[in-house]
Amino acid sequence: MSPRQLFDGYLDPRRPHAGAYDEMFDPVDGVRTAYKRLHDSLEPLQPADLTTRAEALDRALVDQGITFSLSGEERPFPLDLVPRVITAAEWSRLERGVVQRVRALEAFLADIYGDQQIVEDGVLPRRLITSCEHFHRQAAGIAPPNGVRIHVAGIDVVRDEQGDFRVLEDNLRSPSGVSYVMENRRTMARVFPDLFAKHRVRAVGDYAVHLLRALRAAAPASATDPNVVVLTPGVYNSAYFEHSLLARQMGVELVEGRDLFARNNVIYLRTTEGEQRVDVIYRRIDDEFLDPVHFLPDSALGVAGMVNAARSGNVVIANAIGNGVGDDKLIYTYLPEILKYYLGETPLLPNVDTYRCWLPAEQTEVLDRLDELVTKPVEGSGGYGIVFGPDASPKELQAQRRRIKANPRGWIAQPVVQLSTVPTKVGERLQPRHVDLRPFAVNDGDDVFVLPGGLTRVAIPEGSLIVNSSQGGGSKDTWVLAPRASDEDAELRGPGLGTATVKQDGASTPERGPELNVAQQQQQQ
Amino acid sequence: MNWRLRVVHTTGYRYATAVTQSYNEARLTPRHDDRQNLMVARLETVPATRAYKYTDYWGTEVNSFDLHTPHTELKVIAASVVETTDQTAPSVDATWSQLKSPEVLDAYAEYLEWTSYVPKHRELAAIARSLRKGRTPQETVLAVSERVHDMLTYQRGTTGVHSSAVDAWQAGEGVCQDYAHLTLAMLRAVDVPARYVSGYLHTKPDAAVGETVVGESHAWVEAWTGEWWGFDPTNDIPIGHRHVWVATGRDYGDVSPLKGIYSGGAATAIEVTVDMTRLA
Repeated sequence: MSPRQLFDGYLDPRRPHAGAYDEMFDPVDGVRTAYKRLHDSLEPLQPADLTTRAEALDRALVDQGITFSLSGEERPFPLDLVPRVITAAEWSRLERGVVQRVRALEAFLADIYGDQQIVEDGVLPRRLITSCEHFHRQAAGIAPPNGVRIHVAGIDVVRDEQGDFRVLEDNLRSPSGVSYVMENRRTMARVFPDLFAKHRVRAVGDYAVHLLRALRAAAPASATDPNVVVLTPGVYNSAYFEHSLLARQMGVELVEGRDLFARNNVIYLRTTEGEQRVDVIYRRIDDEFLDPVHFLPDSALGVAGMVNAARSGNVVIANAIGNGVGDDKLIYTYLPEILKYYLGETPLLPNVDTYRCWLPAEQTEVLDRLDELVTKPVEGSGGYGIVFGPDASPKELQAQRRRIKANPRGWIAQPVVQLSTVPTKVGERLQPRHVDLRPFAVNDGDDVFVLPGGLTRVAIPEGSLIVNSSQGGGSKDTWVLAPRASDEDAELRGPGLGTATVKQDGASTPERGPELNVAQQQQQQ
Repeated sequence: MNWRLRVVHTTGYRYATAVTQSYNEARLTPRHDDRQNLMVARLETVPATRAYKYTDYWGTEVNSFDLHTPHTELKVIAASVVETTDQTAPSVDATWSQLKSPEVLDAYAEYLEWTSYVPKHRELAAIARSLRKGRTPQETVLAVSERVHDMLTYQRGTTGVHSSAVDAWQAGEGVCQDYAHLTLAMLRAVDVPARYVSGYLHTKPDAAVGETVVGESHAWVEAWTGEWWGFDPTNDIPIGHRHVWVATGRDYGDVSPLKGIYSGGAATAIEVTVDMTRLA
């Protein structure tokens, strides 16, 4: 067998979307610097080794109980064994872009649920806001104590044909997936300690520390030792695993709506020792289900009285109600204007070029080019409702044309972005597969922390550009390399693997781990 | 004419079995503008509660309160004193092309939208278009209101709180809420921004000072034809000193006077009374 077998035929020019940027191989110069060591470690492997490693990975995942529901059916969320590598320089640019975006969107949301100055000044049409399904008038006038509405953001980015990062969409409501980032890393470190020994990979295990710090910082000023809870819709929710993991890692209660109640605009938790006042609710329930007084009256998932408890400043809802107006895909197209208006800056991370069906001229162009564009619902997530023009039948395109004409506000269109590719195990070989990236940002009111890396989702079928886990995608461990000069927080650095593993387990022991860290840090400040 | 009016509005619920928890919002406080001066307003509940006040997106004052002791009846009494005067006729009359301008369409988009109470309906739109012919927007508002007044017969109890403009139109009868929704549906069909107004109507034009009459919880409309102005399609009269306004919104859903969530047996509305006394 030839030692190059794993990568045989990798850059086949006849592959679908051959113009896509491959993150490991430059078509001229060969292996890119970022991937040099990884490539050198993988290349000598035999296909059988790859399979053994992949099986070990699958077993580890099943042991850890990581599954993700796909159309109602639990299945392991496939983790590919080849990590995705981002250099320190690339990361630093991406990180700054994400931070800039979160800051601008915070200012935007504060304005929209306040005086709407950006509308008064004629920078954005009022109709853009009032026609947004997630502009919740119930949230008008609610001013969170530390001003933060986007406690957690997931900014989905892709790399275009030139390798430049572009933002595909913002997720400001309940972005999920961070548990996979942490669990993927834990699993990879168990199965591939040798790879980590050769790289300086920045750690992701302390996410919960940052989250808890941000949630405590968001609490009403009157709360000296803020009581934070995680509110979940319950065990049947596809992200319940993540809710319970985050609650455990933060050392806070995981609650359902029925565990809480409001009295005189204060939220209490029912416990065996009586009522316990709640200061911050990290909720993983959609706005519409939060409070039957203000939203769906028959929702049993939420807490009656919660919206006015937040309005009166006695409790903080994280993320804030109505954040969806900031991640609407039509409003996304106005991000350059929003950035300029609030920050006086130009975007560090460009958007993907987007046509707005609600503007007549752009709609005409979209309808003319429907067979070459990707059309997406402005409110959609999870890949539902997206139509890939090049793959659609004439009948599907006709149906899509009708949908767009019936509801122009509901649709945007983008050219097919040939997402970058990363080697991915397919059968016994490594093949280019398309990926995106969801970095997670946590805003504590002073700083926006971006977890190094994020969730890399990979489209498994050949040529597929749809990476959502709800569409059968998989994921990759995402490695952000530490700058050469720094000694900071590299994964598995230290005396040996044993010690590092203990440290990781420590981070998931809620009673002592992260909360203690926070208390200590606060005393030092 | 200038009146000073005292309004005492009593409403609430009676429950089949004791309710242990209830969360409510009342939108019952009259507003203040150049036609109406709110002098004092007070809200009481039985059983007593601690009300939390806030101003909502539409500018309405909201009293929010919750109960945690078992009760079989909740009574809400909203009392206020307001000075009212007659609405002056609108001074500007926008043209149809002005109403179609991008600026107007953008500024008043919310008042041109279809809602579940004010749905798009082809026949209603056709009637509205026929009324528009040869009329200015302002004249059209009056013509539409008049037509709605003719189309419906006032009939208490025929429509529910959730009936839409079309339901009422098909039934041929309704209450003030239906008259308002139907007028909105027709005005929006011809691109006249129009909104729902909730309030009270003093029912006796020649009331003496000090006389208390049975008033009504009432609803009418306002249209934008260069400026906002109101009309009362239920009674086919302009807005005057007998009208006290409380809230405006896209439809009833934005201004519902009392809404809430409770745990317990079936609720029936208690008898609503609106006592209105001309004080000056």
